[in-house]
Amino acid sequence: MSVTRKVRRPASTAKRLSETQRRTLTAYLFLAPALAFLAVFFFTPLVRVIYYSFTDFDLYNASWIGTSNYSELFRDPLFWLSVRKSFIYLIATPILIVLSLTLAIVVNRKLPGVAFFRAMYFMPAVISAVAIGMIFELVFADQGLLNGILRQLGAIRRPIAFLQDPDLVLPTIMSVTVWRGVGYYMVMFLAGLQSIPQERYEAASIDGANILQRHWYITVPGVRPIIVLVGVLSSIAALRAFDEIFIMTDGTGGILNSGLTAMFYLYRQAFVFNNVGYASAIAVVFSLIIIVFTAVNLKLGGEQ
Amino acid sequence: MSSRARPLNVTTWYLVLLAVMLVTIVPFGWALLMSVRETSASPFPRNGPAQLVPYLGLIGWGEGLREAKQDGLYNGEGGWWRDYAASPTEVDESRERPAYMFPLTTENYYKVTQDIPIGRYFVNSLVVSIGTVLLTLLLCSLASYPLAKMRFAGRDVLFVVILSTLVFPEQLILIPLYVMAVNMLGFQDTFHGLILPFAASGLGIFLLRQVYYAIPDDILEAARMDGASEFGVWWRILLPLIRPGLATLAIITFVASWNNFLWPLLMLTNNQLFTLPVGLAFLRGFFSGNLRTIAAGIVIATVPVIVVFMIFQRQFIQGLAGAVKG
Repeated sequence: MSVTRKVRRPASTAKRLSETQRRTLTAYLFLAPALAFLAVFFFTPLVRVIYYSFTDFDLYNASWIGTSNYSELFRDPLFWLSVRKSFIYLIATPILIVLSLTLAIVVNRKLPGVAFFRAMYFMPAVISAVAIGMIFELVFADQGLLNGILRQLGAIRRPIAFLQDPDLVLPTIMSVTVWRGVGYYMVMFLAGLQSIPQERYEAASIDGANILQRHWYITVPGVRPIIVLVGVLSSIAALRAFDEIFIMTDGTGGILNSGLTAMFYLYRQAFVFNNVGYASAIAVVFSLIIIVFTAVNLKLGGEQ
Repeated sequence: MSSRARPLNVTTWYLVLLAVMLVTIVPFGWALLMSVRETSASPFPRNGPAQLVPYLGLIGWGEGLREAKQDGLYNGEGGWWRDYAASPTEVDESRERPAYMFPLTTENYYKVTQDIPIGRYFVNSLVVSIGTVLLTLLLCSLASYPLAKMRFAGRDVLFVVILSTLVFPEQLILIPLYVMAVNMLGFQDTFHGLILPFAASGLGIFLLRQVYYAIPDDILEAARMDGASEFGVWWRILLPLIRPGLATLAIITFVASWNNFLWPLLMLTNNQLFTLPVGLAFLRGFFSGNLRTIAAGIVIATVPVIVVFMIFQRQFIQGLAGAVKG
């Protein structure tokens, strides 16, 4: 009896152990391919970019130069100009939130054919920013749609140089980013709107609230999580906007650096000038700025 | 009272909807209009009405087709004609027609197909996007299953590690990724070089994990009782159940890959391998003077996407809305 027990007990623990081990092994086998890809294409570059930022690197030979890149960066007026341009680009975010929420309210009404309109508004989101940048080059050209309409209306005598005037380049490109994003974020707000119970609006109308009050006191608090989500997503998108800027400034960053956002400056230093080490320092500093900005955003969104 | 106010209300609503739709589609319409014009002169002349309505003019295929026919240089099928190089003023003088009309021409489309292999770029984009979608679906649906449905050591840590990939901005890893792709992996001018870096997505894993969560454990237990292996459970039972989630992820991944510009721009030097966005940018750089050829290129590149989108618009919109809710 006692012998068999002694024999049996280790056997059963061994079996139980191997059961857990087997389950863990299975789980890791399922995870292994994705983890391998993330390790190679995400975590390795993440470590390397920090290393590069301390080197003088022209793509072939790297030499350790300590923190010189960073001290140079903090003295580089173009870098701070580009950070400022990126933050100006962020003005697109509140505009996007207001426009896409308003549009979501408009298309949330149950009317025949409203699904068609939703689809038409969403459509720009599936088209490449390159094509859209090129379409708007045609729209903003001297002989383009906007100048043509304005001239036909008698509002201007000479065409407005939307993409040549240094003061207009960035707002013009931002308007394209907004145009492209409104439908996309509208769909996100739509998902949030549909979870607000209809009775609240009816109760508010009975209490005599007008349409603006109803939306301000019911809709806005009701979709607050989505506002935070759209705010975070669209500000990250605005901070790394590149394709539109590249196309609409001929790949130059605009006359007098008028379209030189931090993302574009990074591209220029790394891939035009081959200053890989310096560009890595830009990437690290600018990413830190983005992470802090996003964290503050989330914190504010969560507290209110 | 309220019943009388209603119809007016609905009409106003439709007017608002239509007005907003104009803002969305007029730029596309403008590109279309430019692409069928014969000259680059502004459709809004200084004196006279806007030339916005085309009439059927230069329908045919090839440069200067109409001129060739007029001069008797075109002899039907398989024929040839001299190159068309008339300046806009010459063209205008040689024609007797109302000044505010313009003939519809296919010439700009012909030029696009002559100057860049746009059909090939289309196929390249399709290959890269479908490859990315298939690999992403495979990797993410495999990885998110144990994260949602198994208990094992290190699960929570791993999940946090995977989620952390969403926190870091993309541009942070762009430079070293490029250096690795060029110096070590030999990704330049390859399609797998455009697919592999984007295959494992933290967002995809997160999204599918939510979908797996919604599946009751009883189904899995029953299958395991029947002696199915974990892989068998995943392949035969779970994959069919998470199909809507897979569709959402497929759509998001496809659109992102189809529109990806910077990475292919950095990776591709061989102009036979360009994807559509890179090809379009190339066309634009090539003919920065000729707006009409560019417009024709834009139309060729975007119309198929718009058609596919209109067919699957319900899936697109519900997929994105579902991803937000989930």
